[in-house]
Amino acid sequence: MQQASIAILIILLTVAVYIAMTKLYVRFSYPVLIPVLTTTVAIILLLLAFHVSYDQYMIGGKWINSLLGPAVVALAYPLYNQRKILVKYILPIIGGVFAGLFSGMISGLLFAEVFGIDRNLILSIVPKSITTPVAIQIATGIGGVPSMTVVFVMIAGFSGVILGPKIMKWVRIRSYLGKGIAFGSASHALGTSKAFEYGELTVSMSSVSMTLCAVLGSVFGPIVVWIFHV
Amino acid sequence: MKAIRIILQIAILYAFSLIGELVHNLLHLPVSGSIVGLILMLICLTFKIVPVKIVEDGASFLLSFLPLLFIPAMTGVMNYPALFSGNGLVLLLIVVLSTIVTMVAAGIASQLLEKNANKGKENDECNKHLSQS
Repeated sequence: MQQASIAILIILLTVAVYIAMTKLYVRFSYPVLIPVLTTTVAIILLLLAFHVSYDQYMIGGKWINSLLGPAVVALAYPLYNQRKILVKYILPIIGGVFAGLFSGMISGLLFAEVFGIDRNLILSIVPKSITTPVAIQIATGIGGVPSMTVVFVMIAGFSGVILGPKIMKWVRIRSYLGKGIAFGSASHALGTSKAFEYGELTVSMSSVSMTLCAVLGSVFGPIVVWIFHV
Repeated sequence: MKAIRIILQIAILYAFSLIGELVHNLLHLPVSGSIVGLILMLICLTFKIVPVKIVEDGASFLLSFLPLLFIPAMTGVMNYPALFSGNGLVLLLIVVLSTIVTMVAAGIASQLLEKNANKGKENDECNKHLSQS
């Protein structure tokens, strides 16, 4: 009984903070004020201030978390709406996804090698641009540390969402298709949630890229590691 | 009435993610259950096995607060305070740099290929699609 009321309290708190932060973002619309980031920071600060552990927070948090599965399935809806455009632009989509997938995994390996990072941490960085559940599986498969991979996946998500719009402006990625594929390939589902600010075409491009990266990453992740680690 | 419809539709989406999980476990697929569920749902919508009507409201509703759903998982970063000092910052920098490389490569490659695909075809038609969204 007490568990249930704690869970409800945590859910209400999370939703309330999220709504407040969304209002703040709509009001000022600076990229750093993106609600996922501000809400996460606010909740971590609250938990630290009241000495609540992450496990205790997850008594309620797991219920919100459990909606992620159906939400990923729900991405089939914008994909279905845009199916004609997806078929028409199948080549740019596949080309963009492959470019993103390989440059992401290889640049992660190379940068980590340059900075002299431990081997198991390097392997945890490889699947960072792939959606969390799949990234965990890839990390486990290639000998990385799954819990570190989760953190790297989040950082890839945040940095893409926050820096993405500026960087795309600099390198002149102007088309909605290019933006969507960039968000989905680099920043998985978090990038896809950002893509909603650009309209349905960008959302579908982002979710199709995210899906393709998950499927292709599972296949090519181990191969890339094998090639660069002989 | 609308609330009940949305809840029922989310239940359908939930069922697909559970079926995806089941298929994932049975066939030992390297791809996660929810991604399998997404692909199954897309196949069912395309072949009209599932009419769009019975998922569209639930899907739109769920997707309208997608960022909220990431927050519990994101909050897990609090268990890794070392990440924000010393060696952790180097890892952070590597991931951020590599993410930027990924983004630029994916965006530029797809934009170039898109321009190629549009060449010779009726550009008007495509522009119409773009401006609609």
